[in-house]
Amino acid sequence: MIKNTSMVIVLMMTVVLLISIGTPSDAKIVSDQLGRKITVPDNPQRVVALAPSITEIIYALGRENLLKGVTLYSDFPPAAVNLPKVGSYVQLNLEKIVALKPDLCIAIKDGNPRVVARRLESLNIPAYAVDPRNLETVMQTVLEIGNLLNADQQADLLVQRMRSRVLKVKSLVSKAGYRPRVFFQIGISPIVSVGTDTFMHELIVLAGGKNLAKGPVAYPRFSREQVLALSPEILIITSMARAAVFEKVKAEWSRWPNIPAIRDQRIFLEDSNFFDRPTPRLVDGLELLVKLIHPELFDETQ
Amino acid sequence: MKPKTPLLVKRLSIISLSLLLVLLIAMFLGISMGSTTSGIKIVFQSLLKSRESDPMLDTIIWQIRFPRVLLATLVGAALSLGGLVFQALLRNPLAEPYILGISGGSAIGAIIGILIGFSRFPGVSLTAFAGSIAILLLILVMSSGQTILKKDALLLSGVMVNAFCAAVIMFLVSMTQDSRLHNIIFWLMGDLSMVDMGHVGILAAILCPCFILIFWFSNSMNLLLMGKEMAQTLGVNIKSVTVILLVTTSFMVSATVSYCGLVGFVGLVVPHLLRLVFGPDHRVLVPACVLGGGAYLVSCDVLARVLPKQGEMPAGVITAMIGAPLFIFLLKKTRR
Repeated sequence: MIKNTSMVIVLMMTVVLLISIGTPSDAKIVSDQLGRKITVPDNPQRVVALAPSITEIIYALGRENLLKGVTLYSDFPPAAVNLPKVGSYVQLNLEKIVALKPDLCIAIKDGNPRVVARRLESLNIPAYAVDPRNLETVMQTVLEIGNLLNADQQADLLVQRMRSRVLKVKSLVSKAGYRPRVFFQIGISPIVSVGTDTFMHELIVLAGGKNLAKGPVAYPRFSREQVLALSPEILIITSMARAAVFEKVKAEWSRWPNIPAIRDQRIFLEDSNFFDRPTPRLVDGLELLVKLIHPELFDETQ
Repeated sequence: MKPKTPLLVKRLSIISLSLLLVLLIAMFLGISMGSTTSGIKIVFQSLLKSRESDPMLDTIIWQIRFPRVLLATLVGAALSLGGLVFQALLRNPLAEPYILGISGGSAIGAIIGILIGFSRFPGVSLTAFAGSIAILLLILVMSSGQTILKKDALLLSGVMVNAFCAAVIMFLVSMTQDSRLHNIIFWLMGDLSMVDMGHVGILAAILCPCFILIFWFSNSMNLLLMGKEMAQTLGVNIKSVTVILLVTTSFMVSATVSYCGLVGFVGLVVPHLLRLVFGPDHRVLVPACVLGGGAYLVSCDVLARVLPKQGEMPAGVITAMIGAPLFIFLLKKTRR
């Protein structure tokens, strides 16, 4: 009996010893944007980005050497296309993630299924979740990812540059006397626009426009009749679709020349990636919008 | 249950053992094929704990593929058995939980449970069960009249129930902005990929007693197939047997739906195939359905993992692609 007990003790001590060896000493506990406590390595060496926006941020921070896997449609910068893929960000392939042996995964709340984060943790792979909701939290996210990847300096610089560009836009827009009515169309069939709780709304307002679709619904649907009634002065269509589709959509809208935007030929197609990805490129999207909404401000300065 | 004749026991064990072998082969294939590395060699290395085995591969094989294979086995078994029971009780060779709309009812219940914010177990499983019972009652009410028990009428009502369920699901999905429903469409197609051993354990604890219960009533199902009067004179309490079997089956189906969505036509393909090979005795068919159904869905899931070049597809796509043509073929054959 005594012998058995001592054997159990020895066994337990061995287990404890093994566990303490197994725990990396160079790790820290951080709290992610969802408030979950996560143990992450001090020096992550193998990072998998679970959304295209996170890939972009890691590239912008100059830490692409740590990036070992990305999701489908991670197409910016173009070099990211060549990295191993772990499925699309809404349909992640757990097996492919694990095969890349990551020591850190960065996930996004909107899109990544929660079950994936839970499964990764049960496999001892930390999944740091970010939840950018507006320009301010995008900057916050850049700073946090910079901190995780030991790129604080680059992150500070990047955010400073973003802030000064946003300020420049603000001071430019303050000279404009009028806010044109903007209809921002992100879906072609059915017609879908953007409500108040979206990046697009924030950018339209910052760029000195009035979002015709503002409201509590994030992505409200519209009938053609409703759009006619709103009489937009500027119609911006963002799409992943090719130019040929845009021509068709434009021709469709052109049947209603009593819409001011059609009459004045202010219907534009833009790359949706500038507006719906929570990345530093949102500021590019903002500058682009100002040029579309207030071209007169640029005439004066030049 | 009547005492078994020695001949039956022998037949049962031979059939069960051979199907068990088939299941084990399918499971072995299931853990050796995947989206990263495939190969039987690496599984052997991992099984034998050989020195060359890579801890990452161990994780992939035992914590990602193995739970998935077990889940496919359980779900395939439950759905095949579901089909077998419905075919016997409704005396209709084309009856199947998915075709009758029982699965669709569970899916509505499960989505409502997800929207309320219940956890997968027991909350969502219970709302799924409630949904399946509601549809079951609807079917029973519709088939209580004499005429509607006819094959075509029952199937037609099933088609309508399914169309209604699909509409309600689309209604719920369109009405909500909930990000939890982002990949609901994928889940609805029968997705087995995001499961861990805890889920498999719970599902096994739910399903195994149901399997045993149905096996207990397998002889009653034989007698029921001979006709209601015949069964009654032979001492089968038709009402209670029917109720117990239908409720058990709906329970099994709703449990599988709340874990991996709608996997269709398994309950049609497997029992038909097994009846063709082993004859109509339910005492043999019940265990055969458990083992064969498991092997069938594991194989379909392997195809779903290996066929797509980019990513994976839900196993339900494969089962429907095999099952729907077979259904049409059987429908034409029974018409003659």
